[in-house]
Amino acid sequence: MKKKKICTWAFGLVLLTLSYLPAAQEMPPSREIPATQETPSAEKGSSLRYEIWVELDDAGKRLAGREEIIWRNETGDDIPDIWFHLYWNAFKNEKSAMLEESRAEGTLGMRAEKGGWGWIDITRITLADGTDLKPTLEFMIPDEPAHPEDQTVARVTFPAPVKPGEKVHLGLEFESKIPRTVARSGYYRNSYFIAQWFPKPGVYEEGRGWNCHQYHLNSEFFADFADFIVHITVPASFVVGASGKQKSAVSAPDGKTVTYRFEQPRIHDFAWTADPEFIKVERDFIASREVADEEYAELAKALDLTIEELTLPDVKMILLIKPEHRRQTERHFKALRMALKYYGLWFGPYPYETVTMVDPPFRTGSGGMEYPTLFTAGTGVITDKKVHSPEGVIIHEFGHGYWYGLVASNEFEEAWLDEGINTYSTGRVQGEAYGPGMFSASLFGFPLTRIIHLPRYYDLELDRLGAILVAERDPITTYSWQFINRMSYALNVYQRASTCLNTLERYLGEATMLRVMRTFQMRFRFHHPDTQDFIDVVNEISGQDVTWFFDELFSTAHNFDYGVSSLRTGEKKEDDLGVFEVDGRKEEIRPEDIDQKKKESKKEKSGRKTYVTDVTVRRFGEARIGGDARIRLRVVFEDGSEKTGFWDGRSRWKKFRFESSAKARFAEIDPDLVWLIDSCISNNSLKAKAGRAGVVRLASRLLFWVQNAFHYLSALS
Amino acid sequence: MGIIKLLAQGFGATARKGRILVFLWVIHFLFSLLIVAPFYFLLDSQFSRSLMGEKLFAGTDLLWLGDLIYRFQEIPPLLGGLVIGTSVLFLLLLVFLHGGIIGRIAAGEEKITLGNFFGDCGRYFGRLFRVFLLSLVGYLVVFGILGRLCSIPFRLWSKGASTEWTLLLSSSLRLLVFLLLYSVVKMVFDYVKVTLVVENSRKTIRTTLRTIRFLGRRFFKAWALFLLVGALFVIATVVYLAVAKALPKTGIGPFVLFLWQQAYILARIWTVILFFATEYGFLKAHRPAV
Repeated sequence: MKKKKICTWAFGLVLLTLSYLPAAQEMPPSREIPATQETPSAEKGSSLRYEIWVELDDAGKRLAGREEIIWRNETGDDIPDIWFHLYWNAFKNEKSAMLEESRAEGTLGMRAEKGGWGWIDITRITLADGTDLKPTLEFMIPDEPAHPEDQTVARVTFPAPVKPGEKVHLGLEFESKIPRTVARSGYYRNSYFIAQWFPKPGVYEEGRGWNCHQYHLNSEFFADFADFIVHITVPASFVVGASGKQKSAVSAPDGKTVTYRFEQPRIHDFAWTADPEFIKVERDFIASREVADEEYAELAKALDLTIEELTLPDVKMILLIKPEHRRQTERHFKALRMALKYYGLWFGPYPYETVTMVDPPFRTGSGGMEYPTLFTAGTGVITDKKVHSPEGVIIHEFGHGYWYGLVASNEFEEAWLDEGINTYSTGRVQGEAYGPGMFSASLFGFPLTRIIHLPRYYDLELDRLGAILVAERDPITTYSWQFINRMSYALNVYQRASTCLNTLERYLGEATMLRVMRTFQMRFRFHHPDTQDFIDVVNEISGQDVTWFFDELFSTAHNFDYGVSSLRTGEKKEDDLGVFEVDGRKEEIRPEDIDQKKKESKKEKSGRKTYVTDVTVRRFGEARIGGDARIRLRVVFEDGSEKTGFWDGRSRWKKFRFESSAKARFAEIDPDLVWLIDSCISNNSLKAKAGRAGVVRLASRLLFWVQNAFHYLSALS
Repeated sequence: MGIIKLLAQGFGATARKGRILVFLWVIHFLFSLLIVAPFYFLLDSQFSRSLMGEKLFAGTDLLWLGDLIYRFQEIPPLLGGLVIGTSVLFLLLLVFLHGGIIGRIAAGEEKITLGNFFGDCGRYFGRLFRVFLLSLVGYLVVFGILGRLCSIPFRLWSKGASTEWTLLLSSSLRLLVFLLLYSVVKMVFDYVKVTLVVENSRKTIRTTLRTIRFLGRRFFKAWALFLLVGALFVIATVVYLAVAKALPKTGIGPFVLFLWQQAYILARIWTVILFFATEYGFLKAHRPAV
């Protein structure tokens, strides 16, 4: 998530190059999915095209902009209007949906200091023939619960509906007040991060109308792929970074300003940053140096692809870093190289020429956010290499270039499709490139991990911790702004979704899961897939119907918890007490008869004892496995032997009985921890005899912490 | 008398009063054990028959930690009450014990027994409890008013910061100022306690005012001595952390770590005794009449 003033009128209105348009008309409708796995060339052009001129007024903290939009109706509908996002009106006053939601949540309050608010006004909107659409402009409230005074979505009505295949050429002028750092957009002193800043059309969905949601506290964004040309004018002392590729930088005749021109086809958003203190560093990602032939060969075999299909392209890496972080330059580039390599190898080659990594300007609150071909990282002035920061955030935000940037799911409606999949992907890449990282702890920016030893962990372990805490709050597929609270949103769409995907990987197998992810990425690049598309790919690639997996773990708020509830093991009774019919007469077996038999058996030493072990396994949670999935039960006996049972897990419980030559030592379900999403792993096993060494150790550590805490308390006495 | 000599005298006094250290450690240990016991049984019920219990021995693992958090996520409100309740109890216990520590330090060469230690604890509890209440007012004044005033320049400095370094420096310096302010209040009321015991006085407020005047006349010397003992605590902590970090995490390592942790707690308790011993020495050196 993530941010001006303007006097752009120095620029003439450049007419859009018509050569884009014929190519655009050849594009298939956005929902028409190419049959081949690989993506069609990105050079065909988009059905939407922007050319924007924007000028930063550093003193007034404003932007003045002009925008030319060419949009073509690629659906079969007659479309009477066009809807726009005016995101910065979320920061206009406390009546916006975002600020009302944040007040209810008790988070992200605006700094109401003078000049801190942000807003955007469309001052002119016309058709190419000069028809003024401004009188038809009205703010829309599409989402429930309603925030009636929100102004983050607006629409204008055309004089006549736009027919299928027709295109519209709109000319807009807008003015914006840059907010004082909120939701990753804004300024601090003369540092700027400018995101979600221009009037941006929603996505028209055939038969359903405009998909254009308000700016919510718990949601990110959704837009159509477009070709962007953006002219950014800033004071000459500023260093600028932006989405896309810089084509030129032209100084004004008076030398006071510079206008940068950036271009990028087939992206769905455009962000930029400007700060006079940025240090700009460029490096090349040279694929042949990063990936060995053996790595290609091994992966080609696993994915059943040719090496040519896997071969990565070279990419220009650009870093904008603050002077106080300069010493971490190589650390940033190494993480980005790792991300380019593994995302590229596993999910598909990065298709753009550049990627820009921004060390966020101080106090712009813009760290850790993704935009097409540009992302923000975030670090501190003193770091510890044991803690994988900024590496984790670099890998994650770059990864969004794949899951959001290329596979452009609807972040308002199905945030898990980008955040969950990307959290899963980040964990894989980070684990492969760096191994487990140490928990972070700092005091006033000084990393305490330099003096104290904190646990190391893999992302998937931390993700599981978050996942189980919200097991029964909301389904993962809930609309972003409709989660019960921010914590449920965050833990569900990031960590629970990631944990479910790690579970799916363990269930399907790593190679199959890689094929699933790569197919999903390559098939839906430059498209807007939804959850059903993902499920379809999983079913197709795995060759089995795992719809139940998504029904149980994504579409419902069911807790997943299987466990062993009892284990009884003992010598098998050879005889039972009572009266039995033997050869037509009644014979009573008494306790002393059994004792006598036992004695004889001992004397003979020939009778091998048989033991019976009864195990009850239970489904404690509502979530059930389905399809061909089975819960595996493993019982290990004192003589080292093992027995296995399987359970379809549908009912509430199942009893197993095993006969063996030794007593059971323990029973354990899911010994390979396939079901990582299980919210209580400690009840997955039951030992016949309790062992307390671990408990004593943990309690002794707790004792020390309590002693310490009391001792600190003595400072008050 | 110089502060180094006073410090050396303090060392001597604490060495001769080794029993106090033992008493205090046992009391701390038992009190903490009492708090930990319910958690032990919780852990036992959760893990002793689970294979996961074996992982507890190997160190922190997010899998078992996750299970614990999930299983006991409703406990924090209850825990809050427990923390507040036991903290208040422990503070009262400390006030009680301070009477014994100071009383036995002031008793010279007299042999330390459980009887005379706890006798002093009981004898001085009332007056030391009044000092404790008075010290809370002192902390409130210093941190609530003086602390806030001192924060203003740091806040202004941070507000106009252009880099993180400013924040880092500002926060660190502010912390340092707070620690120094704290040390002054703590020192003053420590001396009040010692004075009340050695003079066998019950006049808390009058003694406090006299102590402030007394320390005001030789403030830097008294403060330097106090900070020197405080530095020993810091050194003990650094040594503890360095060694703890190097200890093996498996085999006999956890057991050695537990012993090392208790040695560290002993060192911390010893610094508490050393504070009082040096303060007593300082008082004797500058007010021989007491």
